Amino acid sequence: MRFAAYLGLRFLFLIPQIVLISFITFVLVRMLPGNPARMSLGPLAPESAVEALREKWLLDRPIFEQYGAWLEKAFTGDLGESWVNNTYVLDDLIQRIPVTIEIIVLALIMVFLFLVPLAIITAARTKNRIVRFFQNITFGYGMLAGALPDFLLGLVLIFIFFTHAGILPGPEGRLGILDFESPFVTGSVLIDSLIAGDFDNFWSGAWHLIMPVFTLAFVYGAPIFKMLRSQMEGALQADYTIYAEAVGIKPRTVFLRAARVASGPTIVITGVVVMFLLGGAVLVETVFNLTGLGQYAVQSIVTADYAPLQGFVSFAAVFTMLVYLAVDLVQFAMDPRIKAVGSR
Amino acid sequence: MWMRIKRTLKALPKWQLGVLGIFFGIIFLTIFGPYLAPFPTETADPLSRLVPPGGKHWLGTDENGMDIFSRVLAAPRTDVVIGVVATFISVVIGAPLGVLVALYETRGKAGATAFAETFMRLLEVMQSFPVFVFAMVLVAVFGGSLTNIIIAIAFVNTPVFIRLVRAEVLTLVQRPFAEAARAVGNNEMRLGFRHIFPNAFPVVMVQVSVTVGFAILLTAGLSFVGAGVRPPTPELGAMIASGAKYLIIEQWWPALFPGIALGLTVFSFGIFGEILNLAMEPRAVRKDLDRRRTNALESAAGEAAAVPVAVAASVGASAAPVLAVSDLSVAVGDAGGQELISNISFSLAPGESMAIVGESGSGKSVLVKSVLQLLPFPLEVTSGAVRYGDIDLVGMEKRKLRKLRSREIAAILPNAKSQLNPLTTVGAMLTSALKAHEKISNKDAIARSIELLEMVGITDPELRLSAFPHELSGGMAQRVCLALALMYRPRLLIADEPTAGLDVTIQRQVLDLTRDLARDAGTARLVITGDFGIAAHYCDRVAVMQAGRIVEANRTEELFASPQHPYTKYLLSCVQV
Repeated sequence: MRFAAYLGLRFLFLIPQIVLISFITFVLVRMLPGNPARMSLGPLAPESAVEALREKWLLDRPIFEQYGAWLEKAFTGDLGESWVNNTYVLDDLIQRIPVTIEIIVLALIMVFLFLVPLAIITAARTKNRIVRFFQNITFGYGMLAGALPDFLLGLVLIFIFFTHAGILPGPEGRLGILDFESPFVTGSVLIDSLIAGDFDNFWSGAWHLIMPVFTLAFVYGAPIFKMLRSQMEGALQADYTIYAEAVGIKPRTVFLRAARVASGPTIVITGVVVMFLLGGAVLVETVFNLTGLGQYAVQSIVTADYAPLQGFVSFAAVFTMLVYLAVDLVQFAMDPRIKAVGSR
Repeated sequence: MWMRIKRTLKALPKWQLGVLGIFFGIIFLTIFGPYLAPFPTETADPLSRLVPPGGKHWLGTDENGMDIFSRVLAAPRTDVVIGVVATFISVVIGAPLGVLVALYETRGKAGATAFAETFMRLLEVMQSFPVFVFAMVLVAVFGGSLTNIIIAIAFVNTPVFIRLVRAEVLTLVQRPFAEAARAVGNNEMRLGFRHIFPNAFPVVMVQVSVTVGFAILLTAGLSFVGAGVRPPTPELGAMIASGAKYLIIEQWWPALFPGIALGLTVFSFGIFGEILNLAMEPRAVRKDLDRRRTNALESAAGEAAAVPVAVAASVGASAAPVLAVSDLSVAVGDAGGQELISNISFSLAPGESMAIVGESGSGKSVLVKSVLQLLPFPLEVTSGAVRYGDIDLVGMEKRKLRKLRSREIAAILPNAKSQLNPLTTVGAMLTSALKAHEKISNKDAIARSIELLEMVGITDPELRLSAFPHELSGGMAQRVCLALALMYRPRLLIADEPTAGLDVTIQRQVLDLTRDLARDAGTARLVITGDFGIAAHYCDRVAVMQAGRIVEANRTEELFASPQHPYTKYLLSCVQV
């Protein structure tokens, strides 16, 4: 009941927020320098043709009217056309979103497979040699990862593992130059190649994903790692943990209950990191030549391509709002102290 | 101020001092870098393209034949200045806005609250744009001049400061000093900006350092994708971008050296933030103070020991004791660490009750934790034994020790509300405790838990099972702990400040209840308290602790009638005003 009320309230807030975000984006994008009608027709087209196109695209109308027209179309799934490539934005997004989501999800999986256990192990204060060893290593990691630009790490990895060692493929995209992409089903290289039963493509895709995913996980896993470790450190030394031990409760239960307290803030920071991962993907996709959303955004900014940019930023905003919502809901379900109303 | 800097510097590990050096080096380069460059930093020289490091060009030359060393020296002028100025703008705009929003929120008027709430929602909308893309769009819209880059970066960082300052002010507003400032007749705005904001300043300063690092990273990232500072201006991100294509064909120097410089810059700003944090937060420099206080305590202890007093040694050694502590010492870390309690000996007969009295800091709680074998990490028992019946608890296997807990040795620790895990219900706590010690079905465990809650006088026990600790009053939480302590009629109950923080009538109720239940079960009690009244009223014997030693122990009436040790006399004189 409490949960349902909270959920309803949050969804109620979500809709105006998304509308507002798309409007702000719309205004910003329309302020990009350059005349898109002129850019679309080329410098040799007569002025009258450019004017006609401007009229057709409603570029001469007030901004609210333009936005209304866009919104109306957006509801029917029509996000407009790219003026540069003459492709539908929705189609582009469907092609490119999976590329970006794939590296983000894989990076998060890596963080949870490696960094989360490490953070929990190294949180205990002990004299155990092995734990001490890991504590020293991860201390260095925590220091380093915050300062390392993701694009630089990507370049250094390419230099070491492609140029020098020659073990991993270079920045040639999702597959080798001679590989053909498997038929589009989900858009994920790994899943699509498995569906097509093409294991060569699967390995090629996996091989090409190693460096970009490692780069994202290494750089963006650091905040999650640091937060979880410090929270776990605190929870393990907290009064309630010592007391539970004094009562003689099973160590496993004591540990899990401490971990539960520690996981709250960690989930919040994970939500923030997912948002940053979307931005990080822009740089990492540029470095590794992946045809994802990030590259799409960079290209459309450079060419003043209204519709793709609008589509991308709207998607990013909705994605972020949904991540925040998910984080809040998980937190709300886990922590009885959070009241149904009120902001963070 | 100067003292504080000196103390902080002393407390720093060597590597941090090194990073601090690098930090000031980068600041120096920001100011003087362009003048120190041995070669022109923006003029192409087609005759010496991509020269490897060494010789005339220490770090080699880039694709345009420009000297990389010179450009790296000159680059902080661009990167650091953008980072610092942008962050400065974010603070100057964000911090006052944060104070305002917090003030509106606490004012309690419907209109003001609605305004603050709407503002925060709008902020959320702004923050839901991916920072990097948002900055890119801003630069694209308004053009890539230096000013516009700074404005774009300042704009995306401002919400961080609004949120931070708002959160700080919201907690500070409840502090007594804020109440006082309001009571003296300061109006809302004056209160916010003159009295509260300065107190939020340390947190802001730490965030500034972190944000400058982040802003530099953002600048470099923007330039890297070609949406920021453009060549030939010496800027690290753009330099890395122009070097990137040569990295793949083994010409690593044009990208790598600027990369290292960028990493070092961001890293040193981050560490500088941590050092600032250390300097600003009094708690962080405590190590030093602690040492001084322990020294003072030790010398006091030395003096006390010099006074020839008949310490009623090994008191109460009648029939086989339940608990016999002999010659117990606890120190920090391994040999050579500070000793916190020294050579403590006492024993407790079955069903007997004994109080240990002392001021805060006298080592009472360390004694409790060492008897219960719950010493936190760096503390260790360095000598002596804690005998429960025939068994020495010191160094006992954890698995065996756990079997004794609650069943035979129960503990009540100070401030019950903080002893209960905030996310565990009363019912889950009780049933897990029962299940940890016996084979019991879930249903039976719940039934037993209800009985236990009834036993300690909690009304509506069935309802309380689903309550979380934050929903309990202090007295109620204390009763839950009492139920946990007495669920198996243990032979020994160790209660550390069992009533601290409760109001006086509740104190009496809880203490009476503890005494009665313990008496029924034949439980021996060791009560640690700072309150002579509690000791006199509830305990058969009293031991007085000072600076980690028991200086006097005797039967309660005798100790009160004729205190021997000067410290006991002093404590008693404080009580009997």
